Amino acid sequence: MRSTRSSFAALCLTLMVMLLLPMTLRAEGTGEYIAIRKEGASRIAIVLDNTAAKGGKQSEWAKSLDATIKEGLDFTGLFNLLPAPLNIRNAQNGALDLATIASVGGDIYAGGSVTKNSGKPVLEMYVSDASGKELLARAYTGTELQLRDMGLRFCADLVELLTGKRSVFGTKIVFVSNRTGFKEIYMCDFDGQNTVQLTNSRSISLTPSVSPDGNYLAWTDYTSGRPDLYIKNLATGQKVSVNKHGVSISPAWRPGTNTCATTLSYQGDQDLYLIRSDGSVERRLTNGGGIDVSPSFSPDGSKMAFVSTRQGGPQIFIQDIGSGQTRRLTYSGTYNTQPSWSPSGNKILYSSMQKNGEINIFMIDVDGAGLLQLTNDSRNNEYPSWSPDGSMIVFSSTRDGRRKLYVMNADGSNQRPLLKMEGEQQQPSWSVTK
Amino acid sequence: MRHTLTGIIGAAMIILAGCSSKSAVSTDDKTGTTGTGYGQQGAVNGSVVNAEDLGQKSIAGTVIGDIFFDFDSSALSSEAQEQLKQNASWLQSHKLSTVSIEGHCDERGTDEYNIALGERRAEAARSYLETLGVAGNRLSTVSFGEEKPFDPGHNEESWAKNRRDHFITK
Repeated sequence: MRSTRSSFAALCLTLMVMLLLPMTLRAEGTGEYIAIRKEGASRIAIVLDNTAAKGGKQSEWAKSLDATIKEGLDFTGLFNLLPAPLNIRNAQNGALDLATIASVGGDIYAGGSVTKNSGKPVLEMYVSDASGKELLARAYTGTELQLRDMGLRFCADLVELLTGKRSVFGTKIVFVSNRTGFKEIYMCDFDGQNTVQLTNSRSISLTPSVSPDGNYLAWTDYTSGRPDLYIKNLATGQKVSVNKHGVSISPAWRPGTNTCATTLSYQGDQDLYLIRSDGSVERRLTNGGGIDVSPSFSPDGSKMAFVSTRQGGPQIFIQDIGSGQTRRLTYSGTYNTQPSWSPSGNKILYSSMQKNGEINIFMIDVDGAGLLQLTNDSRNNEYPSWSPDGSMIVFSSTRDGRRKLYVMNADGSNQRPLLKMEGEQQQPSWSVTK
Repeated sequence: MRHTLTGIIGAAMIILAGCSSKSAVSTDDKTGTTGTGYGQQGAVNGSVVNAEDLGQKSIAGTVIGDIFFDFDSSALSSEAQEQLKQNASWLQSHKLSTVSIEGHCDERGTDEYNIALGERRAEAARSYLETLGVAGNRLSTVSFGEEKPFDPGHNEESWAKNRRDHFITK
């Protein structure tokens, strides 16, 4: 009975897949799989086999690895995960029959085994396309406590192989939560797992930002009674403050340097300054009249998007750091803030407060064309931040009541909660960390 | 109910503050009884402190009248200027007092922008008080953006109360 139902389900799945998925071309080499798919093409249909294991301990590990790999691949939004067909193994000799992959609509097969070597798990993974051509065969080792890490390393390799780009695996998200009754800085894995509290100032801690090399955390903190900028060396724990009178808010690190831009007002107007990691001021970047706030750098560090009220309400501007030349980017809407420059260099996300009072996230080309609204009809959606590989966006939203963190794919699809945590969460910043 | 309580507590605080410096703090009757609870001191309806009757000594924690702003604005309305004149007058007669001006915003808009906006609101009041003759070194500013709303509501009535400068004397 059970197998009849499963076969029926498999048949339905096959038909659905055949109906829904456009034909995809098969890459001859590796790393080009996505590149040759049409822009906006469907997800990669991957048959994810259970990890084989012999022995109680190994079976336990396999179960844990299967969950990690499944959740990891699913999180990327790149895959359509298919269970292995029942006839994937030859009934007599147990050999893989990869011809069955295509029968369930699969483009890719991934499976492997876990064994025990000197008490430690060894994960051997194998990936092929539906024609049986081997794409990856690799072993992952670690301690029993590193099972999740081992599974995610495989996910990272698989995504890199299929997309030719670095993946979100291994990245972290820093954010603010008032879980304890005070706003403090927290950090979690890319998928919302392993949350740790980074500050305990029992004051108001805001706008965290990790340097591109993962060495420093900068954030704004009211410990001194006013909003001052703090920079912490994450390896040594050493902490410095900028300690200028007035405000200091919304730091953003400049790629390729150990400096971050932040708003300071000690010289009167609220302008953006470059700050060294020792807390000293390198130089003033803007002198615009009005508020200049919320910087975000291009991936090469040569340009900075920021919010300015120099022409009235808050709008996004772009400044060339070398020449100082500045142009206005946004003209649609009267309240545009929180720019986030894409790792690919050609897109900028921002949040816009609309006439109906909602705040929504928009994406615009760096040249001002191609305006696209990513969130809709879901209350306040703020503080967009790109994943370091540019495939995803983390943001805060009040769509379910209190302010929580959500992620979406870079095209706005697949919006879902990032983590379960008490209190409110806000101001996420996606980072590469050590 | 909550607002009523806050209003009563607010009024009580004012009266206590007044007593400690030989009376003469006048609360606005209307605020005291209706208990709108905002401004903590009935600033909305005008004067809180009757400046002439207060002594010269510093009165820590005395709260002088809040001023209020339009959305996304740090411009001083005529009502705000009137209130600042009364605050200046109180400061002129309490030469030893210093005052911390807190700039606040409503919850709309984005948090970090609002910290900058709150500072502009506080600085607007500081500048105006200086033009009225209050020494700059008696005035300090701090912005709390939208981090410390006076009224936790999510409507224009609450927002209007939260777009304010709050004055704390030392």
